Amino acid sequence: MKRLWLVAGIGAVALILTVPLLGSRQAPGEAPEAEATQENLSQPIQFPHNTHAGQWLIDCQYCHFSAERSVDAGIPPVETCIGCHREGLIAGRTIPEEVVKVREHYNSGTPIPWRRIYKVSDHVHFPHMRHVAAGVTCQSCHGEVQEMGVLTEMAPQAGNLKMGWCVSCHVERGASRDCTVCHY
Amino acid sequence: MSDGLRRRDFLKVVGVGSAGAAVAGCSEGDVERLIPYVVPPEEITPGVATWYATTCGECAAGCGVRVRTREGRAVMMEGNPDHPVSQGGLCSRGVSALQGLYNPDRLAGPMRRNGSGDLEAIGWEEALALLAQQLDGANPLLFTGGKGPAEGTLLNDFAARLGGRRVIYDVLDDAPLREAVNIAFGVNTLPRYEIAAADLLVSFGADFLETWLTPVRFTRDFARMHAFDHGEKGRFVFVGPRLSLTGQNADEWIPARPGSQTAIALALAGELVRRGADAGPYTDAVSRYTLDAAAGAAGVEAAALSSLADRFAEGSALALGPGLAGWDEGATAANLAVLILNVAAGSLGRTLHIPGEAGTEATSYAEIADAVAGMRSGTHRAAVVAGTNPAYSLPGAFGFAEAFATVPFKVAFATALDETAHMADLVLPDAHPLESWGDSSHPGGVYAVRQPVMRPVPAFDSRPMGDVLLDLGRRLGEDLGAESFRDFVRARFAQRAAEPGSFSFTRDDGAGETVSDPDSAWRRLLRSGSGHFAGSVEDIQALQEAPGTAVGFDSPVAAEDGELSLIVHPSPRFGDGTHSNRPWLQELPDPVSKVMWHGWAEINPTTAERLGLREGDVVAISTGDEAVEVPVWVYPGIHPGAVALAMGGGHSDYGRYANGNGVNPVPLLGSAADAHSGAPALIAGGLSIAPTGAWRRLASTEGSSDQDDRNITPAVALSAVGHEAVAEAGHGEGGHGQLRELQEGGGFRTVTTEGRAEDFPLPGSDFGAYGEEHPRWAMALDLDKCTGCGACVTACQAENNIPWVGEDQVAIGREMHWLRLERYYETVDASHSGPVDIRFLPMLCQHCNNAPCEPVCPVFAAYHTPDGLNAQAYNRCVGTRYCANNCPYKVRVFNWLRYTDEEQIPAPLNWQFNPDVTVRENGVMEKCTFCVQRIREAGNRAALEGREVRDGEVVTACQSVCPAGVITFGNIKDHDSQVAAAAGDERAYRVLDALINTQPAVHYLRKVTLHDVEEGGH
Repeated sequence: MKRLWLVAGIGAVALILTVPLLGSRQAPGEAPEAEATQENLSQPIQFPHNTHAGQWLIDCQYCHFSAERSVDAGIPPVETCIGCHREGLIAGRTIPEEVVKVREHYNSGTPIPWRRIYKVSDHVHFPHMRHVAAGVTCQSCHGEVQEMGVLTEMAPQAGNLKMGWCVSCHVERGASRDCTVCHY
Repeated sequence: MSDGLRRRDFLKVVGVGSAGAAVAGCSEGDVERLIPYVVPPEEITPGVATWYATTCGECAAGCGVRVRTREGRAVMMEGNPDHPVSQGGLCSRGVSALQGLYNPDRLAGPMRRNGSGDLEAIGWEEALALLAQQLDGANPLLFTGGKGPAEGTLLNDFAARLGGRRVIYDVLDDAPLREAVNIAFGVNTLPRYEIAAADLLVSFGADFLETWLTPVRFTRDFARMHAFDHGEKGRFVFVGPRLSLTGQNADEWIPARPGSQTAIALALAGELVRRGADAGPYTDAVSRYTLDAAAGAAGVEAAALSSLADRFAEGSALALGPGLAGWDEGATAANLAVLILNVAAGSLGRTLHIPGEAGTEATSYAEIADAVAGMRSGTHRAAVVAGTNPAYSLPGAFGFAEAFATVPFKVAFATALDETAHMADLVLPDAHPLESWGDSSHPGGVYAVRQPVMRPVPAFDSRPMGDVLLDLGRRLGEDLGAESFRDFVRARFAQRAAEPGSFSFTRDDGAGETVSDPDSAWRRLLRSGSGHFAGSVEDIQALQEAPGTAVGFDSPVAAEDGELSLIVHPSPRFGDGTHSNRPWLQELPDPVSKVMWHGWAEINPTTAERLGLREGDVVAISTGDEAVEVPVWVYPGIHPGAVALAMGGGHSDYGRYANGNGVNPVPLLGSAADAHSGAPALIAGGLSIAPTGAWRRLASTEGSSDQDDRNITPAVALSAVGHEAVAEAGHGEGGHGQLRELQEGGGFRTVTTEGRAEDFPLPGSDFGAYGEEHPRWAMALDLDKCTGCGACVTACQAENNIPWVGEDQVAIGREMHWLRLERYYETVDASHSGPVDIRFLPMLCQHCNNAPCEPVCPVFAAYHTPDGLNAQAYNRCVGTRYCANNCPYKVRVFNWLRYTDEEQIPAPLNWQFNPDVTVRENGVMEKCTFCVQRIREAGNRAALEGREVRDGEVVTACQSVCPAGVITFGNIKDHDSQVAAAAGDERAYRVLDALINTQPAVHYLRKVTLHDVEEGGH
């Protein structure tokens, strides 16, 4: 039993050593992290996923266009929104003032600074395309987003995106459990 | 761990610690933003790399590169295998272009000197208006570096329209060689060397593997000529006082005194003439030179020269040089002597070709001196310096700085505020080549394009010089032919390619393919990078019968015994100093001395002993009134009568990584110059050397230059290859056959194996994914090809986000390179002519099957993947460093300090980070991963396409730049793979395997020597 305490002690040292976890230096294009305020926590555009993906059954990959072929799922360019919401086309049935904002972004050439909701740690590589190809649905990780209104937090059914949760699915499906599949 | 406590319990406790840390590390309320495109660029898919073919702009060689971009920013430079000049190779300076592009010391915007004499920021509009006003009628002097054909033409047009003058100054352009070709053959050009076709290569000092002309191409050709292939290899003899990296690759060294190369070349030519060869109009002249006299002048044995003459008479030979190592008062004569030797040896038309048409434009040093005089006399009321730094690199005797200071209006086009730009009245930030359009042309009609690989880095308000010149032309009422420089380049190409069939591309099978109209040719050119213009220039077949210029061959008297000469040479890392402000290059160990960051003086051991100097003693080296203080590095590869200093150090005003590091030897050079070309002499006599009493620890990565008895790089004599003993020695070293393996149920069991890399996973491995069929990644390196240039080191650093640690940390052994080049002396002796044997070994993680690092890791961070990689899970690592202590190859490195923040990696250098590789924090152990990100990327691609990864599909970063083609990588379980073939070669061996049974996946192919090697292989 003494020995176990010794190991616990080493564990505590390990804890101190790993507090500054792996580097999270921002890459260009990613905005810096800001302090959380009420305003920050909301989305810049009140985009209802349920209207688009639930009611009108728009495929997730219509907007998240690279999920099938890339590591990144892709955040839709403003141009994608404008494809349907151009002046004279769909004006927005639920919250039309938000569509006006989207058009303003498009016309002024300023991107929409979406708040990021789903994120794995910087030292994790999650190749979307491999999961799509394996038949894992978007909902398996992201939850029933098509039932959510404006996303300000992860959908309730979503996974917690922590390693144990990833691994349990990998075990279930017989996918690789090797560290370097995700960590390198 | 047997009594009650098992490894898993240990892991559980530690695991709890880590989970706690993970929570503590995240401050929960932080908001991260996702910024999408407004309108997406068509060619960009987030998370997928886009590659552009372009032309490297780091030196005049113009190698073809492929630049990897992610989300619109350049992250990696690789060689372009389709480029006929560089053929897939690249050098360290080329790879480091990324740190030129993102250099934090780049100019943020235009600046002008204000009333109080300081430089202040202004806008482009104001700058251009001022420039147009000041250039008008000012008879401006354009003092530029070597430029591509389009940019050169535009500069010439611009100078002509303004009634000004343009001169070109590039230290590394071999002016005496041009002059010698002009005298011998009547055409102002550089020769085309076909090194690969030679059986005997003799360099009279030319460092053709490092900085001379086109080093990347020469390295590839040298590997073809010199590396062991089907029972044969060529011979390379180096004649000169200092073994540069090029010299270190020689089979034989004739350590001639500084300045004696002319006498040797002429004597060899004379000997060939006496044996019946013809040297055209010089036949009579050279026949007077005898080997005995030359041997006396050079201080070498006549027998060595005589046997070299025999070899010249035997077969297909090529003599090179003497390059910048021969720049003394007789540099043109030395070059001419070597050309005559080539003619006498029958090399002209076989390995040496002289194009019958003037090559890329160049300015003679006489014209440069004249232009400087013009500045001094007030002829030029404005001077524009572009892409060159003469205030730093031109010897004081030219008086550039003084003359430039007197010009009423001084302009600098520069990327950073260097020594010359610091003097200017107006500073204009030039775009980096990776942000610019341009072109380059090469012998044989090869034409290559340069295109921007990304939008200009927004931190710097730069503009390409070509666009600025066109804009200025419009302001001054001169139409220079295009709206933008892109249009200018394209229009020039379209004009030349207008004739149907005049431009062709080389297909994969080597056949030519013409494209009918210039527009499709242009589009294809942007994809492939290069093509060929039809209509080859006829080569010149003989020496000019009546040379217009008489050359005296009486070379300057070589130094007497005991008198020291100074040799100043371009640095393999910094060239003439242009590349000094790049931390990757500062921390790249110099290929010869293995010193980083600071300068050193190379001194022969006997000389050091005579002067009472030890390694690290700081000495004052002086000629005339000038002196530099620099530590001594004792080097057996330098003549006892010489001391060598590299260019590129000692910048006073260039940037944070260059300033104050090293010394600039150029001020030590006096006014001596080559009699014909006017090139400054880089060899100075009358050197004095005095200890200062100070000592400093060299920031060197060299532990030992001696293998002792470790047999790290065994070699095999050419005569012994193919004999059974070698094959046995190669394979018989494979492990002891037995090792202990961890069992799923705990504890170990003993497994018997033949010890081959492809035996992994070991028979009976039954848990997890290990029982399934996986590739076994492995590497093979042919040490007979490796020249030790170090391009792989920089490429590895670029690809894997490896930090630089600085001189202080290097000095205490904390450098972080995942790949290093070990260099061992076997035979190197400056006291007489004879074989030289210096061995290079790129050392990286060996990915052992029986890895000593793995069982000692308490947290299972170091472990083996099912596909055979020795992996390091960074997020598991707690930094005990047990693994590094247990690694016999010393390839694991530890983040002692935090190398991730702004202070260490100032923006925008962090733009270069490879997004596919985790940036490691302090306290984490790291090492070579076999570029696992590239393996996974290829695996993902193959899985989506429903196939296996093809052989050759995974190319590691080191492999992607290697100019000599040393590295092979692939799945060794696939018996048809290239790596399996290489590993099965009779020369293959694995480092230390025979001693400690590590069973590495990295196989080395022994160097093949022309001389006999001792029993035991070394």
